[in-house]
Amino acid sequence: MLPTNIKRQGRLVPWLYLAPALVIMLIFIVFPIFNTISLSLKDKTSTRSAEASCVAGEPCWGALENYRYALTNPEMTQALRNNARWLMLMVPGTVIVGLLFALLADQVRYESLAKSIIFMPMAISFVGAGIIWRFVYHIESGGGEQIGILNALLVQLGASPVAFLSNPAINNYALMIVGVWLWAGFCMTVLSAAIKGLPTEVLEAARVDGANGWQLFWRVMLPMIAPTLLVVTTTMVINVLKIFDIVFVMTGGNFGTEVIANRMFKLIVTDTGRSMAIAVLLIVLTIPLVLFNMYRFRLQEVEE
Amino acid sequence: MKLKSVLFVMVIGLLLAACGPKPADTVVTQAVPAEPAATEAPAPQPPAEPSAPEMCMGAQPGDELTVMYVWSGAEEEKLNAIFKPLVDTCGIKIVAESTRDAAVVDTRVQSAPPDILFWPSTAPVDLYTDKLVPLDTVGAVAENYASYWVDLGTKNGKWLAVPVKADIKSIIWYSPAQFEAFGYKVPTTFEELDALVEKMVADGNVPWSMGMESGAATGWTGSDFIQDILLAQQGPEYVSKIISGEIPYNDAGVLQAYQTYYKWASDPKYTVGGAEGTLNTGFLDAIYKPFASPAEAMMVKQSGFAGGEIIKQFPNLVYGTDFDFFPFPGAKGMQGGADFMMVFGTSNATKAMVAYLTGPEGAANWAQVGFDLSPNKLAAGKYADAQLAKKGEALANAAGFTPDIGDTIPAPFGEAEWKAIIEVLQGGDIQTALDKAAQAQAEALR
Repeated sequence: MLPTNIKRQGRLVPWLYLAPALVIMLIFIVFPIFNTISLSLKDKTSTRSAEASCVAGEPCWGALENYRYALTNPEMTQALRNNARWLMLMVPGTVIVGLLFALLADQVRYESLAKSIIFMPMAISFVGAGIIWRFVYHIESGGGEQIGILNALLVQLGASPVAFLSNPAINNYALMIVGVWLWAGFCMTVLSAAIKGLPTEVLEAARVDGANGWQLFWRVMLPMIAPTLLVVTTTMVINVLKIFDIVFVMTGGNFGTEVIANRMFKLIVTDTGRSMAIAVLLIVLTIPLVLFNMYRFRLQEVEE
Repeated sequence: MKLKSVLFVMVIGLLLAACGPKPADTVVTQAVPAEPAATEAPAPQPPAEPSAPEMCMGAQPGDELTVMYVWSGAEEEKLNAIFKPLVDTCGIKIVAESTRDAAVVDTRVQSAPPDILFWPSTAPVDLYTDKLVPLDTVGAVAENYASYWVDLGTKNGKWLAVPVKADIKSIIWYSPAQFEAFGYKVPTTFEELDALVEKMVADGNVPWSMGMESGAATGWTGSDFIQDILLAQQGPEYVSKIISGEIPYNDAGVLQAYQTYYKWASDPKYTVGGAEGTLNTGFLDAIYKPFASPAEAMMVKQSGFAGGEIIKQFPNLVYGTDFDFFPFPGAKGMQGGADFMMVFGTSNATKAMVAYLTGPEGAANWAQVGFDLSPNKLAAGKYADAQLAKKGEALANAAGFTPDIGDTIPAPFGEAEWKAIIEVLQGGDIQTALDKAAQAQAEALR
């Protein structure tokens, strides 16, 4: 049974209130998505079908030719591989570091100060952070003094300087460290709020029952903040899938550090069709996670 | 109950995340914001003459001219100094927007194209063939340009782009003082250069300073160097055929050039820091090394702009004794970069600007202000600066001219070329790297 006042305003009024939001979403989200999909089926002129860029005697996916590029081109497979690596390392990296900070900050006297410092990188523009870290990783060739702090330290310790950004064995990890540095504060803030929200009675009861700190964390706290942990993780997965700024600013995708979003950006002007196919690929990869996040939220509302 | 506050924080978090790293954000950061009316037209109008000066082509005082270019800072000031006589005489108002981002230009061209676009390549000619206005219809003077310049800007029989500014790239900077101290002579043939390099190595000197780190454009200095080697070993026609796609990028001649380049660019005896130094040194830092004290290298191959960078870094050095340049020895043609003017508008103010820059006053003024070289024939002998005069002479005497490969070929091929150079310097097989670039070349030029 609906309350009478809602019944009285009929079915139209709620739509009226929704209308501004809907119109804005239609113009800025729904239409661009469909336009992107339609452009992804065209070749680089945006007028002919993507089939036009097929070469006789080579594999061709017809109108889906741009998707063949997005999934099989060596540059793209490298980007996909790198994105997978980012997911596997940066997501756990940020969540674990964030959780660690949240737990540790809970124990110190100047908690808010400590947390503010760790959260601070979030306040820097990502491009700015990329430039800062370029200096950190800088390597000076020849006889000059090392001005990058890491290489300066290495040289002080008697080691030879390392080309952090161009050595393909380590450069992806060097970039991921920047990512963790930027995002750990975000994870910390959210997880810290979850920890603060835990009912003290439960924690005290566990202590009275003789649980040590380790058991308290694994058996009591972790299960209770699990929903938050899950949301933070999926949010980070979405962020990492779209990773762009760090790579663009620091290596430009060179030296084997290419990622999906960077390929999309590079192709926007020169081959719109391919760029749009990559964009659609990114949307497709992101949608399940967004849906999952929404589902979790709804579940939590019900629980409450 | 407390879950509510957690939820709230999470929602805020999500919102934050939603505002996170989206490519679009960066596009905006990249773009230099529009600088409305960089040149404020001075108020004084031409006195009440019945007919406006001829050079104004009927443009009225207060007419707006929208232009887009990549220049900012000191370069923009020079450009404004060149525009000044026209602006002062006709009272037109220039509304300028400065960006280096092709995506920004594309957005503008698709929505509200500027009257005039200045761009460091002819790429817009291919992208916007139908939107551009043929230059002869807006008063450009073709006779003032060498025929290869006109050919470069012509598509489908229509002349759409004219170079306004050029910089020569096939030159090597060195310190005459150092050369004298070691008894080195400026080489005039490629064989002499090769011999000189070996002599320097034998003397324990590092001949080259190479550095190609340049953010997303890393690789271009390598591309320039290889093109000069190609110009010496194969000649300008060969280079033109690579640009047009008639010669595949994995051809034996290209392979030979890469082998020469690899020998010089990967060994710490030949270049500062070896391959690692070449890959990680910023292209500006590389320019400084031969002129530092003590000198870290003997020579740096870099375009004309390097002279200005040397003076900026070492204000006490004197051109001619402490630093100087010579054309790339044995190059059978000059490699250069040029900024082209392309026109979308047909207003009188547009016509006035086109006629001015392609005519005698614009050419003379361009040389006088010294904004690199003016490809306009009428600029000859008008340069106020000794360096520019020597460069202008080198350009005029060049046996032929090829545009910089990197500026001319479609972006995907250019990018593949850079990647090939990087791959080779990282120890990859040259033939394999070239095969990949050749595939991108075939695909891009199809």
